[in-house]
Amino acid sequence: MIETKPLRLSGSQPFTQQPGVYIMIGERTNVAGSPKFAKLVKEGKYEEAVSVARQQVENGANVLDICMDEGMIDGVAAMTRFLLLLASEPEVAKVPFMVDSSKWEVIEAGLKCLQGKGIVNSISLKEGEAKFRENAATVLKYGAAVVVMAFDEQGQAATYEDKIRISERAYRILVDEIGFPPEDIIFDPNILTVATGMEEHNNYAVDFINATRWIKTNLPHAKVSGGVSNISFSFRGNNKVREAMHSAFLYHAIAAGMDMGIVNAGMLEVYEEIEPELKTMVEDVLLNRRPDATERLVDYGEALKAAGAGSSSSEKKTEEWRNGTVEERLAHALVKGIDTYIEADAEEARVKLGRPLQVIEGPLMDGMGIVGDLFGAGKMFLPQVVKSARVMKKAVAHLTPYMEAEKAALAAAGEVVKAQGKILLATVKGDVHDIGKNIVGVVLACNNYDVIDLGVMVSCEKILERAKAEKVDIIGLSGLITPSLDEMVHVAREMERQGFKLPLLIGGATTSRRHTAVKIAPHYSEPVVHVLDASRAVPVATSLLSDEGKEAFVTQHRAEYEELRKAHAAPRQHVVSLETARARRTPIEWRAEDIPTPTFIGVRALDKFPLATLKEFIDWSPLFHAWGLKGVYPRILEHEEQGEQARLIFADANKLLDRMIAEDLITARGVYGFFPASAVGDDIELYTDATRGTVLDKLHFLRQQANREGSEPCRSLVDFIAPKETGLRDHIGAFAVTSGIGLKDLCDEFRAANDDYNAIMAEAVADRLAEAFAECLHKRVRDEWGYGLDEKLSPEDLIHEKYRGIRPAPGYPACPDHTEKGTIWRLLDVEANTGMLITESFAMWPGSSVSGLYFAHPESRYFSLGKIDRDQVADYHERKGMSVEEVERWLGQSLNYDPAE
Amino acid sequence: MQPMNNASSHPLKKILENRIAIIDGAMGTTIRTYGMKEKDIRGERFKDAPKDLLNNGDIFSLTQPEMICDIHRRFLEAGADIIETNTFGATSITQSEFFVDDPREHGGRKDPEFYQKIIDDRMLVDLAHEINEQSARQCREWADRVGNATGRQRFVAGAIGPLTVSLSNSPDADDPGFRVVTFDQVKTAYAQQVRALIAGGSDLLLVETIFDSLNAKAALVAIREVFDEDGYTAKKTELPVMISAAVGRGGETLISAQTTEAFWNAVEHVRPLSVGLNCSLGPDLMYPFLEELSEKADVAISCYPNAGLPNPLSETGFDLGPDDMARFLGDFARGGLINIAGGCCGNTPEHIAAIAKALEGKAPRKLGQIEVAA
Repeated sequence: MIETKPLRLSGSQPFTQQPGVYIMIGERTNVAGSPKFAKLVKEGKYEEAVSVARQQVENGANVLDICMDEGMIDGVAAMTRFLLLLASEPEVAKVPFMVDSSKWEVIEAGLKCLQGKGIVNSISLKEGEAKFRENAATVLKYGAAVVVMAFDEQGQAATYEDKIRISERAYRILVDEIGFPPEDIIFDPNILTVATGMEEHNNYAVDFINATRWIKTNLPHAKVSGGVSNISFSFRGNNKVREAMHSAFLYHAIAAGMDMGIVNAGMLEVYEEIEPELKTMVEDVLLNRRPDATERLVDYGEALKAAGAGSSSSEKKTEEWRNGTVEERLAHALVKGIDTYIEADAEEARVKLGRPLQVIEGPLMDGMGIVGDLFGAGKMFLPQVVKSARVMKKAVAHLTPYMEAEKAALAAAGEVVKAQGKILLATVKGDVHDIGKNIVGVVLACNNYDVIDLGVMVSCEKILERAKAEKVDIIGLSGLITPSLDEMVHVAREMERQGFKLPLLIGGATTSRRHTAVKIAPHYSEPVVHVLDASRAVPVATSLLSDEGKEAFVTQHRAEYEELRKAHAAPRQHVVSLETARARRTPIEWRAEDIPTPTFIGVRALDKFPLATLKEFIDWSPLFHAWGLKGVYPRILEHEEQGEQARLIFADANKLLDRMIAEDLITARGVYGFFPASAVGDDIELYTDATRGTVLDKLHFLRQQANREGSEPCRSLVDFIAPKETGLRDHIGAFAVTSGIGLKDLCDEFRAANDDYNAIMAEAVADRLAEAFAECLHKRVRDEWGYGLDEKLSPEDLIHEKYRGIRPAPGYPACPDHTEKGTIWRLLDVEANTGMLITESFAMWPGSSVSGLYFAHPESRYFSLGKIDRDQVADYHERKGMSVEEVERWLGQSLNYDPAE
Repeated sequence: MQPMNNASSHPLKKILENRIAIIDGAMGTTIRTYGMKEKDIRGERFKDAPKDLLNNGDIFSLTQPEMICDIHRRFLEAGADIIETNTFGATSITQSEFFVDDPREHGGRKDPEFYQKIIDDRMLVDLAHEINEQSARQCREWADRVGNATGRQRFVAGAIGPLTVSLSNSPDADDPGFRVVTFDQVKTAYAQQVRALIAGGSDLLLVETIFDSLNAKAALVAIREVFDEDGYTAKKTELPVMISAAVGRGGETLISAQTTEAFWNAVEHVRPLSVGLNCSLGPDLMYPFLEELSEKADVAISCYPNAGLPNPLSETGFDLGPDDMARFLGDFARGGLINIAGGCCGNTPEHIAAIAKALEGKAPRKLGQIEVAA
């Protein structure tokens, strides 16, 4: 049998049906299913209506059913309005929507609002094949899945035979004629009310369940859905019975293959927890097991009700985040975009902090700061930032009357009162892009700024004219294309010439902090500040307009931009010539007794290296850094504030590590080798064998040139290998290790189970293991080199590298050129020996890998190369046979000059 | 109606199975190297236009066809199999930004009423049509000339850009449900563009730089309707469709914040010839999202990133040179991720030549691998 294709949908996030997992469709946003929602829509209270949708998602609905079919509601307008609002509600917009209407124009209006792949509910053969085809083609055009009701020209299918006949007919038209993807067809074979007292209704549940089984067996890939609450309609007002009926019905329908259903997630009892007596009676009704089943259940239900047990068994959970401090709650509300409690929390904070402004500039601004950080890190997206700003707006709106009152009191006392900040925004002349600038405008307006947006293609004259006329406090310029940068310079110059005294903000995709500092700011005496993204606009504006904060902000800003300008101007540091630097190499007295000989020459591979051995070599401190805790292991476990969190992480990490070891979840592999070597200039020559007759390969090193005051040596790693002319028979080691084999599968497994925590933990632990592997292997290498045998160091000493010798890695401070990894790969045949790859950008794959070189000389030590000059780049280019441009690109961070100049 | 799956028999599909096809680079960046001035873009025809036109690069196809054709030729000679028409902003909506007063300058606002006038504006509609048709013709001519001269068929992709308005975002601080423009207005503007691109002789339709998935959906619905209404569906002469999104650091479409897989689910029904990523992030940051798309989508994968992130202090405005781009795209090819490669902003013909050289002989991603992504 062919495997059934899952239903795949999307909102802003993907949704893929999982085998055997029932899809929950939230029905509270259906006016027919929720009188409360219907009332909100009719009264135009869309904001509250949106919060109904949010609760559905929070309660675990996978898809939201949205229906506006009600006599008093304009369906097209309401559907459009509501869906556009949901699109601005990131937590809700994640899930796919089901556009539900019996009116086709409402469905089409809904489809025009969905960026993702939703579901149309529904089409049917009620009005004949022609209309059915046309509607199906329209659904396909917009890219949605579709619910097909078991309905035809003769009416609704009630019996098993009619249900399957109509479903099959619809399926053949959709698949064979329209080309509709069969996995996107969802049949609704009508869940009809049982226990009505009419005998012909008694088999309705059984007919649905049997039809479901037939569809799933005979119509490949098709899905089955239904409106579950219909089944129990006879028991309105008796939720206890209804919940039991829903659960029992679903239990049997799902077993028959039902994929999803429209159900109030709060109106479901857990099947296993239905009282046995009730369960039997409910199932007697649903499965039509005895003629008096209905009567018995009615009686039982009445008795329950009389006993006062008719109310729902599911209770609303209190939300955990509500237990935090008011500052934490405000931050949480901003980050998550929840406005339900924001006013109460703002009020609590106002009382606590004393002044409304302190709430805004304190916890609220801190919360927006977190939003900014998350956005900058790619962990929040633009719509979420906007949503956060809208929540902020509510808090500010609550605080505004208090601020007004404060101002009035100040004015009455004869003090000068500052008005609300006014900010003028414009996309500069020549540029038509402003979606981003509009978002900045919204975010600022939400923070109580009066925003004047002049739109796009705005000339300098118009900007400055309006700025004067409106007496604005700040001007913000935006631009997306490169030529806009020059226009911004022009505006800055004009502001200087006309004697403006306002700060100027710069933003847009091609702008940068450095460019603003170097090219724009020098033309204007007032602060010119680059604003990285919408989330940063508010803190910058607030600082610039704050009485207390402005001076400090401007001072710091000027200092930072001065730094950027200095850094941009070459030369940046004092450098000595390469010739001088070479003359001042690390002073080492070369003695034979300092040159050990390894026990073998050549390459050794280590497969499936025991993880248990690595455990004792782990340096745990970075694990905590990975989780955002700062401190050193083991002290961090006892830390006053972070200790508890740290202990938790440590315990979980060890639990996972022990599992990794016990179940061989990941594999560690490595390769290392010793090679006869001599220093020749700033290169190291490696030889094929002990006769040193043939050069196997060369390693290239760089030498410190900058800021080497007085007699400070200009170090290079090459200094730690005996120069050829000493005649000493020195060696160098190389290694590459990984503990990342199998890690991706493990992480994927965790993620598939929605266990992101352990997925991240697995990566963090694997990283620790890779470092431990490098440390462990270094110990073995020192032993094989001989000098390690009597070092007698504790694991802690090892972690603090209190031993002789170093293991620097290409790409790190002493040898920043990543491309030298290529040589290590060649020398050790790393790919063949371990499966580890280097990409063309010289990143190692899999992650959790370490590679490097071993130096044995007692004088060898770590250092940072610092900046190098053009003469060394030219020399390196000769030695490496790499073009100057390429060298400059790889060593960009280490250059003491700008290659473009 | 059948889905747009005639892509299977298209000659480009054959190429994509055997090697990585090359798509061209940045029109804007390359135009800037010609040192054109405002008076050059205006020519006689637009000499009295009220606003600056210099950054309205599509207009060059009408006023400086020699330069634009020179650029098309250089990209073709650099090895591009597919060249894009110079029509990124050739819709009545985007053109209006250059020709119609922004009501916000006078305290007004842009809203559906404003844009209804735009899409009904004869001058703008005709101008958009003319740019699309002319540009497609120019591309057609050069694609065929270079194709014949080199014995290698070249293809013209009608470029359909993202517009200057968003269907997903509200610029009104007080009303998150507000939109400046409606779906139907956007669809109408796109349908006009699609008709003109086809009339000019495009081989393919490329909906690109998608930062708002709903805008893209309107374009895809417009394409479907043009195919159906103009008889292409009945005659089975639909053009293959290519789709390419611009994503941010989290792999989300920049404005509407739809993640890569969610985006693919939303456009899969079109059965495009290819889906991929372009613009926005440079190639290095794009890798994981390309990988994700390549895992989920069972059609050809395209990738034409910017030359790194914007760097206003560098000469092209971007960080990466030809060799860098060649190295990164070579990496993608080695990873078996791509069938179509090229460059977006910051990529000159030299970049494309380097990319084409680096990808020569490299195996494309295998097509039709994914049966059921269960």
